[in-house]
This record gives sequence, C-alpha cells and structure tokens, in this order.
Amino acid sequence: MRVALTRYEAFHQAMGTEFTLVTYGEDAQYLTAVGREIFEEIDRLEAQMSKYNPKSELSVINRSAARRSVCVEPKLFELLAHAVHYSQSTEGAFDATAGPLMKAWGFFRGKGRVPRNSEIAKVLRRVGYRHLHLNRVDRTIRFDVHGLELDLGAIGKGYAVDRAVDILRYYGITRALVSSGTSSLYALGAPPGARGWSIRLRNPYSMQRAADVICLRNCSLSTSGNYEKFFKVGAKTYAHILDPTSGKPVENMLAAIVLAPHACDADALSTAFYVQGVARSREYLATSRNLIALFYLPQGSGRKFRRVILRSGSTNSTGAVLARIAKRKANAAGVRTRRSGGGTFSRAISR
Amino acid sequence: MKDRDEVTRRNFLKTAASFAAVAALPQVAGTSDSAQAASNDAVRYGFIGTGTQGCTLLRFLATIPEGRCLATCDIYPPNVQKGVEAIGAKPDTYDDYRRLLDRKDVDAVLIATPLYLHARMTMDALDAGKHVFIEKSMFFKEAEAEQIRQAVAVHPKQVLQVGLHRRSGVLFQIAIEMVRKGALGKILLVQSRVTTNSTWRRPVADAKFERLINWRMYREYSGGLMAEMGSHFIDIANWVYEAEPVSVIGTGGIDYWKDGRETQDNVQAIFDYPDGRRHTFNSMLFNGHHANGVVIMGDQGTLELKDDRGIYFREPVAKISTGAAKENWWAGATVSKAAMQKGIPIFPEREAKDSGFVDRELGYARRWLASMGIYQPEEPYDPYWGELVNFFASIREGKPVIAPLEVGTADAMAVINANRAIDTGQKVSWPKKVA
Repeated sequence: MRVALTRYEAFHQAMGTEFTLVTYGEDAQYLTAVGREIFEEIDRLEAQMSKYNPKSELSVINRSAARRSVCVEPKLFELLAHAVHYSQSTEGAFDATAGPLMKAWGFFRGKGRVPRNSEIAKVLRRVGYRHLHLNRVDRTIRFDVHGLELDLGAIGKGYAVDRAVDILRYYGITRALVSSGTSSLYALGAPPGARGWSIRLRNPYSMQRAADVICLRNCSLSTSGNYEKFFKVGAKTYAHILDPTSGKPVENMLAAIVLAPHACDADALSTAFYVQGVARSREYLATSRNLIALFYLPQGSGRKFRRVILRSGSTNSTGAVLARIAKRKANAAGVRTRRSGGGTFSRAISR
Repeated sequence: MKDRDEVTRRNFLKTAASFAAVAALPQVAGTSDSAQAASNDAVRYGFIGTGTQGCTLLRFLATIPEGRCLATCDIYPPNVQKGVEAIGAKPDTYDDYRRLLDRKDVDAVLIATPLYLHARMTMDALDAGKHVFIEKSMFFKEAEAEQIRQAVAVHPKQVLQVGLHRRSGVLFQIAIEMVRKGALGKILLVQSRVTTNSTWRRPVADAKFERLINWRMYREYSGGLMAEMGSHFIDIANWVYEAEPVSVIGTGGIDYWKDGRETQDNVQAIFDYPDGRRHTFNSMLFNGHHANGVVIMGDQGTLELKDDRGIYFREPVAKISTGAAKENWWAGATVSKAAMQKGIPIFPEREAKDSGFVDRELGYARRWLASMGIYQPEEPYDPYWGELVNFFASIREGKPVIAPLEVGTADAMAVINANRAIDTGQKVSWPKKVA
C-alpha cells in the first residue's frame, strides 16, 4: 500500500527577508530535521556574508583588503570568483562593489535620498569590480583602492538557495521548493501529482496579482524588480537597483526575471539584465546556455507594461524541465521575442 | 474564574469598540472645580492615604469629572497638604479614616495606604456603605481573604475594585486579545521583572516617622518587593493563563542594601500553573536596566511588553500535513523582512519613526494586526486614568469592574505564598481546588 506523502512547510527569517521551504517526504520528523539543517546553513551563510555584521568574514575583508591580501574561506572564495566572472561578462552591469552607491542613495537605512552628481562621481571612484583582485593560488583577495566594499546582496540569496538545494539532494529529498523572500527560488522535482511547482510572477504594479504563472521543475528563478524598495521625491520614483557605471537608479525597467540551472546565476543575472536592458541582455544570451529571461517593461502612462521573453542561444534539453508561461491578464501587451509556440518553452534547462 | 474572564473579555470588547467614545471624553478637564460643575451626579468620594501613590492617583482624579473629591485623609501632616495640592480642590481633610467613613455624603473611598491596613480599611469602608477602590495588593495576611470575601458578600451592591492598573491599559488588553486569539500559540512561559536602581528609602526629617514613611521596608507592614512590584505581574500571568498558580518556589535576600531594612532587596520566584505553564518573576533594587517588563512566550510567538510598548515576534513554525497541497508560490523582488526581524509593534504608529520601505513594512504589520481586530494606533490614555474612570463607571452605570474581588484575591494570595516560599526555602502549594 502506498503511504500518503507528508508535506513540511517552514519559514525562516534571514538576510533581511524570509526564506520559505516546502518539502515532501515520508517522515515528518526527518523532513523537520532536514529543514533545521537548511536554516542553520542559511544562518551560517548570513553570519559569514552579512555587510551589517561587523564580525562577518565579508566585513573583515571590506575593512582589511585595501591594506593587505586577505585569505578567504574556500566556498566564499568560489562565490567571489563567481561574482567577478559575472561582473566581467556583463561589463559591470552586475557589480558586487556597488554598495557605497546604495549607501549614497540611502537604501541601507530604509529611506532614500538623492545625492548630488558630484557626490556620485566621488563614490564611483571607489566602486568597480576592476579594483578587486582574486588570487587563486593562495586564495586571497585584495582591493587596489581604499573604500571599496563588497556587497553580496545581489547574489547571496541565490547562493543560499543553491546551498539549501545541495542539502536537500544530499538527504535524498526529491520534491521541494526553496524561496528567499520570493526573489530567488528553486523548484526541486514536482509536488505529488503535478508536473512542476506553480509559480506566480508578481505583477509589477500590484502585489496581489500575477503577471504570469510558470510551472517550474528542477530549475531556479530570480527576480529583480523596482517595486519593493524605492522612494519618491516629488513625482519621481527612485528604485533601489542602481547602474554601477552611472551610479544612478535604472529607469524604464519594471522587472527582470531569469530562469537558470542555479539560483546563484539566476540571481546575479536578473540584476545584470535589469541594469542592461533588453538589447544588451539579448547579446549576452546569444552566447550563453540554459537561460531564459523575462522582462516587464513600462508601456505608456498608467499601470501598463509589456513583456519580453528571451532565451539563450543554446538551451540544453535533458527533458527534466518544464517551464510554461500561462498568460494571465490582458493588460500586458504581450510582446514576445524568440519564443517557441504554444506558450511552452520546448527546451529544457537542467542543473 | 470563568465569570472573571467573561467580565474582562466583555470589558475589552467595550474598550475597543468605544475607543472613539473614550477619546471623546474630556481627557483633561482642567481643575476639578470646573469638572465638578460639569457633573452634578458625580461620584462623591474620599481619598485615604495621600502619600506618593495616593497623589499619583489624585492627579489623575483631578481630570475626571465623573468623580468629586469631598475629603482626604492621612495621618502624616505633610501628606495631607500634598494630597490637597494634587487634587487641586478644597476637600475636607482628616487624620482618622473612620471620621471620613462616617460622612454620609461620601459615596466611595479610594485607599492607597500601607499594605497592612488594606483589609481593615476595605472592610470598614464596605461596612460604612461605601464603594471601595483599594490599591494592590488587596490584602496582607492569608486570613484576610475570607474576611474581605464575607464583607463583600454582605454588601453585594457596593463596587470593589483593586488597583491593578495594567488591566485598564489598552496595551495589555491588546496583548491579552492576542493571547486569546492564538497569535502566540500554546503559551508555556511568562517571564516578568521589575528592576530598579534605588534604595527604596524615602528621606525622613524626624526619626520618629521612620517606620511610618519607610513602611515598605518593614515586615510588620509590608510584603516587600513581591507585594509592591510582583503583584502587578503575578496578575498579568494569572490573566494570561486564566488561572491561579498551583505552587511557587522562590529565593531572595537582603544582599545589597544592608541598612537595617527587613524586606528583601532582591527576590526571584517561579510560579507553576496547571498543565506545565510557568511564570518566573524577579525583582531587584540594585540594577534598573530592564525596568518593568513582561515577556509572554508561546510556541507560535513572543510578546514583549513594557509599560509603553509591546512588540510581537512570530516563531518560525513549520506546518506538517499529509498529502499534496495546492502549491501556488510567488516570485518577485525580495520581500523585505528587515523590520519584521525586530518584531511587530502593537502600536505601529508610535514606532514608525523611519520612512520609506521600512514604513511600508510596518504598514503591512498594521494591516495584519487590524485583520485580527486588534489594531490601535497608540495607547489612548494612561492605565491609571483608565482604572479610575472604570471605577466611577461601575458605580454610576453598573459597568463590570475591571479588577474585581476574585482578581485581587488571586493576586494577593500569590504574593503571600511567594513570600512564604522565599522565607522558608520550601515549595508552597495552593490547596487543591474542589471540582
């Protein structure tokens, strides 16, 4: 006789947001224990990577690396190398050194301000991945300018989701969803009786409405959007995603969503694509693999947006993935690019 | 116990529902003269014991037109003068409370005297036909519980209210609503404390008044920290658990202020309630860092309460179920929980000093509280003011007494048993209730 699966759902606050974990398995106690392991790992990562915690390894690096080479823990070093790779490949659209800009715009303290151009120019002198030097041989990092600050906010949550998935796989869990405050999530397998995990992509203008619904399996999804952290001065809205080259908030973009085999990649690229815009992202995708990008762009005045969907030049099929976009509301113009027919991505992305 | 809960619950609902009405009352009516003019059917009262606490109450009374102070009484002449100044009117003054009770035109008395006098004065006042507001703890000796109960039974139409003022505070009423509505889940621990960096000693100009002025430090008159401080939070725990303790252990001593005092300068007690629920209380006079506070801890949440603020923290509780559920999850930009990690304030507007997205987050918290019907923008009035308004409303309109005999008795008994546990070093158990 087949035993009904047990469903475990838990929340955990870390990294300034709330992580969600859903798992299916046979034993509630086992699932609970695995959940504990995952949240402990996420807490450990936060303690290591937090820029708010002065004793974190990241804070130690930020304080010391301009004066001397700092030896880095192997996994963090890998993540930093990954971050530098994405900075290089996106020509700085993703940049883990943009923290001082965020500070200048007041996003760290929960309220915004518009800095003068001269202030931005001054801050930009100590921003830029090119000032960051990794030495693989002795696993050290060094900054060549004082005041440089690493900030893993645009990659760390995705990375944490990946580590959670590693733990799930290690313990033999085959059906799970991990989400870091909705911005990065990974769908492992599918819930019982379903083809995948049903994910509603938030309408950029409305918290309660879905712009699209995606069915996701063995795939990660990350979102960078302008609608959670922003401030207004007069009629102008300033969102928290800054272009690291201009030092100013990105305009004319509502959200960029990336599907990728790893959440860490999806996380970094959703920020990069948000900053780069559609045209440059298309160029990027032409030479990359296993990626799908979805953009919500403002259209005219009012609360309308249009949708652009891009796929990477090469999308490997292992048959494991299903990503289907069901169109919801007709208020999106629904401009679709390079999209296969029938509303279904015929190609798969696999981890 | 059941009746008491009904009473308090009803009261809360009324308080919540009539929030606008309460706010519309003249909060500060200026002097009591104008207040008296405003109300011909005001409760005519006398005030016994115009020391520090008495004057605190008198200053609130001066703003409440539903009551009119005809007389005050204190055996210490400087206090008599202070009391008259506090009420801001011209009451007749007495040095013998029995003369005050003899007055036929006095409907009610408020008593804020040293603890050892509470029971005697309460019973005398009831016998004299007065409504009684008695400061906490309600009585000093175990035997007095029954004596007061009998006196109340003989005078069922007279109001008896105990001065457990937090019962009249909106903050604590909301806290209890959250408890009742399950926001904290299964509650197994209440931690409370009153800490102060103070000698407790009041200056005495003439040595012959030492024991009179510093009565709190002498065991002949006082239950020490447990009575003066502990009684407040013992009552909160009783209120949370809707029960009385079943036993208590405790310890304490005169370990810091070795100045001839007889009551302890630090006490610790653990009260056991039915079903494995506990309340730990500690109080001290050598460190004031934590001041007043109570933490209510359940398996789904924690509520931290101080006198002017309450913060709710959600426990991360896993949900276990069987079979497939409808899996509909959201993806979008990172949902901020930075402010949530600091807890959800009961009075969000009071805490919302920031701006931007932290504010928006508190807005969500506010909506969440409102969805449970427990949103208050801020504390609308001082709990002292609230308890006194309630006392007059009980007399004039028959409104339920917010801290009645049963509440005061349970509270005072726990104080007595905790002090007994501390003094003997033995666990003290309550007599088994006959079912």
